[in-house]
Amino acid sequence: MRTRLVVMIASLGLLLAGVPAWAHHAFAAEFDANKPVKLKGTVTKVEWINPHAWIHIDVKNPDGTVTNWMIEGGSPNTLLRRGFTKLSLPVGTEIVVDGYQAKDQSFRANGRDITFPDGKKLFVGNSSPDEGAPSK
Amino acid sequence: MRAGILIVATVLLGPGRAAAQTPSGQSGWTARTADGQPDLQGVWSNATITPLERPADLAGKAVLTPEEAAAYEKRVVERTNADKRTPGTEGDVATAYNNFWYDRGTKVIGTRRTSLIVDPPDGKIPALTPQAQQRVDQARAWAAEHPADGPEDRSLGERCLLWRTAGPPMQPGPYNNNFQIIQAPGYVVIVNEMIHDTRFIPLDGRPHLPAGIRQWRGDPRGRWEGKTLVVDSTNFTDKTRYFGADVNLHLIERFTRTGPDTLLYEFTVDDPTAFTKSWTAAIPVTKADGRMFEYACHEGNYAMTDILAGARADEKKAAQGAGRKGAQ
Repeated sequence: MRTRLVVMIASLGLLLAGVPAWAHHAFAAEFDANKPVKLKGTVTKVEWINPHAWIHIDVKNPDGTVTNWMIEGGSPNTLLRRGFTKLSLPVGTEIVVDGYQAKDQSFRANGRDITFPDGKKLFVGNSSPDEGAPSK
Repeated sequence: MRAGILIVATVLLGPGRAAAQTPSGQSGWTARTADGQPDLQGVWSNATITPLERPADLAGKAVLTPEEAAAYEKRVVERTNADKRTPGTEGDVATAYNNFWYDRGTKVIGTRRTSLIVDPPDGKIPALTPQAQQRVDQARAWAAEHPADGPEDRSLGERCLLWRTAGPPMQPGPYNNNFQIIQAPGYVVIVNEMIHDTRFIPLDGRPHLPAGIRQWRGDPRGRWEGKTLVVDSTNFTDKTRYFGADVNLHLIERFTRTGPDTLLYEFTVDDPTAFTKSWTAAIPVTKADGRMFEYACHEGNYAMTDILAGARADEKKAAQGAGRKGAQ
């Protein structure tokens, strides 16, 4: 009963958000709305793949240890068409991830909002040709 | 074999000829392939913010004025901007990521109709038959109780099998709204970016497959009616059930090149055991801005294991909660 109610509320939320209800139920199934995370880390690996790109980051914990998190993004095809490749987010780049942790409490989160530390958005506009953009 | 077809297709792409923009269904486009087919070739995008069905607040209004269309575009683009947050809600989780990953389009269709559905006149999918509604209700009830026992409980898209908006019928989606048409003697080939799916449509008038053979994307047969390619598909399975359709789906698609950078795509869903009447949509499509890229899906599908792990975590949590209650 509760599950059904949650599903109904989630669907309503999606409709209000303007997202087609079928579109991203997957994310609500993977990640926990009650486990928001804010992570600041350096990129260690970028998987520029489908169905979702994954950005791996090293995050320094308060106790000084380092945890590697996997951050889920969207399909890179749209970004490729605008000239962004995985080289556009080089290893070592610092990024801030505002997202939600995986329900199974593994070190995965969805990249609900990813920015540079100064708040600037990633992948803005079209990439300049010298970033290795694929030709049309 | 495929490389041969691609080489032939490249040779067949002739210089564009001047085309008059005429009302839908007619075309001044005169370019033809070497074997005389009207030339539909290219990489096309059907991205648009015009919805399939007329929104409730526009009931009775079939077409927007230019001013209304501009205001509608502004409103919808703002409303669907994924960078808008409602933190801590399932809706926020489901919006998933920043707006730059999406590519929904920013414009309504050129005719400013308020729905892609042109028939019935109310712009809505007709009511399902009682048996189709029962099937939908049963599926929904099952999904609520069994959201993720295994991959088979998840959508075909999440399973990296088929993408809903690639259909057929093809419709706009949240991103990668691209398909490529290639023509070779006796065939039209449609490649969808999502999920790297290809339909080979024979034009030689051969009959459909026997009724006992079903195909996940149906069995297509093509013919030319003037400058319009008509694709007739039958022999669907019960795996897709788009919009509530069943195995008796008879889908008719029409492709008409309306200019160098435009094409009109229409489809009619004829499925009397599922819908109380047939319905038709018309989607003007434009040359895509850029290449199609391979959407290899299975290989990168970490999400499926995460979805199943999430369901197992939810069950464990529920069981622990029930256990605690039991102990009281």
